[in-house]
Amino acid sequence: MAHTGDTEDLEALFDQISSETLARLDATPAAEIAPAPPAAAAAGGEGEDSPEFYQRVGMLTRQLHDALRELGYHQKVEQAVHSLPDTRQRLDYIARLTGQAAERALSNVEKGQEIQEAVEREGARLSGQWQQLYERKLGVDDFKQVAADTSAFLHRTQEDARATHALLTDIMMAQDFHDLTGQVIQKVVKLAQDFEDELVKLLIESTPPEKRNAAHSEWMNGPVIDASSRDDVVTNQAQVDDLLESLGF
Amino acid sequence: MKPDDLKFLIVDDFSTMRRIVRNLLKELGYNNADEAEDGQIALSKLRSGLFNFVVSDINMPNMNGFELLREIRADEQLKKLPVLLVTAEAKKEDIVLAAQIGANGYIVKPFTKATLEEKLTKIVQKMNGST
Repeated sequence: MAHTGDTEDLEALFDQISSETLARLDATPAAEIAPAPPAAAAAGGEGEDSPEFYQRVGMLTRQLHDALRELGYHQKVEQAVHSLPDTRQRLDYIARLTGQAAERALSNVEKGQEIQEAVEREGARLSGQWQQLYERKLGVDDFKQVAADTSAFLHRTQEDARATHALLTDIMMAQDFHDLTGQVIQKVVKLAQDFEDELVKLLIESTPPEKRNAAHSEWMNGPVIDASSRDDVVTNQAQVDDLLESLGF
Repeated sequence: MKPDDLKFLIVDDFSTMRRIVRNLLKELGYNNADEAEDGQIALSKLRSGLFNFVVSDINMPNMNGFELLREIRADEQLKKLPVLLVTAEAKKEDIVLAAQIGANGYIVKPFTKATLEEKLTKIVQKMNGST
């Protein structure tokens, strides 16, 4: 295990339980080990932030307020508002992780470029020396020096190749931010969807009857309205947009 | 068991992480690896009998890593497959659950090449000891 707060304790705990479990598995026919029912969907919260929320809340009347109390939605809104700091933390985490990954990748690229530039410079210098040698412009002492420099260069090139490889590996490892932030983004999107759903429900329940009739005929034009003909649901983004538009938002 | 004898199945819903694990395995001398993007696809591939080592994420759609592990341990042909879980979840209850349902190892992301090597070596040594 890596990067946990109490790594050694957890590792020892894992090893102990795992060893016992695997030993038991060896002695048990597979058929007796029933697979568990599917786990619940990835964790998600109740509701999420949305600019429309604030606009809507400002425009709601006392009638809406009372209606909310009667319908029990005020509790859900409260829960949604409480989820906002958590969402901000998640987004901060994404920004931090992507920033660190970018810094790490760029830093390694710069180090790699320095190594490659040095190799190129020394290679060009030695190539020039060898050219002079072929043109018989160097003496014996110069030849010995070029041979020694070339030998050192070949030795150093192996080290440089290993160093470049290590930098490239580190650049690759820096890309793990995609997985880590992707999981967080999925959770935030789920929160936003839940929040939007709650807001739309609120809007439908609190719409004045005369407006609701006008809006209702528009929302019902969509193809995916529930078969039970409920008038308190919308089922896709287009219907949400239609509903908001019909209500003057 | 030598590195070339091991045939890995890397299970993760993020292609980036599958590539990272695959490249790390290659750097560690393990050249035989295939990929699956969730537990269901992994199970189907594993039942082909072509793999003898699983490196799996936990949080995945359709069938997560815990469910995959349970299915493997409940399958007479697959139940002895070594399974290394690699996950962003560092919660104690998840680690304990992984051990209880028979994971051979557990790595928390982000991890280093050295950590992966250490866990693999440990599992392979146990495999060699038991054969």
